[in-house]
Amino acid sequence: MSGPVNSRPLMVLRLATSATQEIGSTADGTLTIFPVVGGSFEGERLRGKVVAGGDWVRARADGTLTLDLRVTLETDDGGLIHMTFTGVRDDANNYFRTVPRFETAAPKYAFLNRLLAVGIGEIRPEGPVHIIEEIL
Amino acid sequence: MNTRLLMMMHVKVGTPLSIGAVPYGTRRTAPLSGGTFEGPRLRGTILPGSSADWQLLRSDGVLEMDLRFTLRTDDGALVSMSSFGLRHGPPEVIAAIGRGEPVDPSTYYFRTMPRFETAHPAYSFLNRVVAVASGDRRPEGPIYTIHEVL
Repeated sequence: MSGPVNSRPLMVLRLATSATQEIGSTADGTLTIFPVVGGSFEGERLRGKVVAGGDWVRARADGTLTLDLRVTLETDDGGLIHMTFTGVRDDANNYFRTVPRFETAAPKYAFLNRLLAVGIGEIRPEGPVHIIEEIL
Repeated sequence: MNTRLLMMMHVKVGTPLSIGAVPYGTRRTAPLSGGTFEGPRLRGTILPGSSADWQLLRSDGVLEMDLRFTLRTDDGALVSMSSFGLRHGPPEVIAAIGRGEPVDPSTYYFRTMPRFETAHPAYSFLNRVVAVASGDRRPEGPIYTIHEVL
């Protein structure tokens, strides 16, 4: 694979967040917690709603934000998926990319346990949207 | 997804240590004893000692990799690189890799997600990059082709 990286769409994740919790300046930067109170995800192989979770966002000294999200996803057929991502948001360079991971016991969605993925994030008026691709 | 080549990395693996059966699977660690990396924007060597792979063979047959490298560029910068990775495939392919045989990398899944940290101004772009690596487990050591996610 010295050519381009092959990927295919996994899902579009839309998050609904409530008022941020400003922890403030700590030894690891300025920490802001974004509670995730809902949302949805949709792709060819899975769709459903975001149950709950949060994103622990740290402002670094170099002006970028690092993300550390964990949410629970519930598929439309009742599967529960634990999803996390870390990522970097660099607004000066319009760069917002994440590395999601998934963990589930639902046999239908076990493929998620075996893949790596990359998300392209956007902040839209209605909330954050992540376009997530599976790395093939 | 838009990407561009960041570097190719050739890694030398030392003698692995088997920790054995742990609560989440079978744990093994492998020191990474050296190697080289080269790309359009950086090149250099892998430093031993602080480079190693903490592997967990999960109950579902997937190998999780937790890789740490210290890289030294040819102009003297130190770059810390850490990757999380997954390797899995048909049992006969994974067994052939285990026996140290050459295997076509398209027959199994071997991907990692490197992140970088450096204090050197010439390489500070690495602090802001998400990357994807594709692995090829050759008998003489893994080769990673690392792409920056644009």
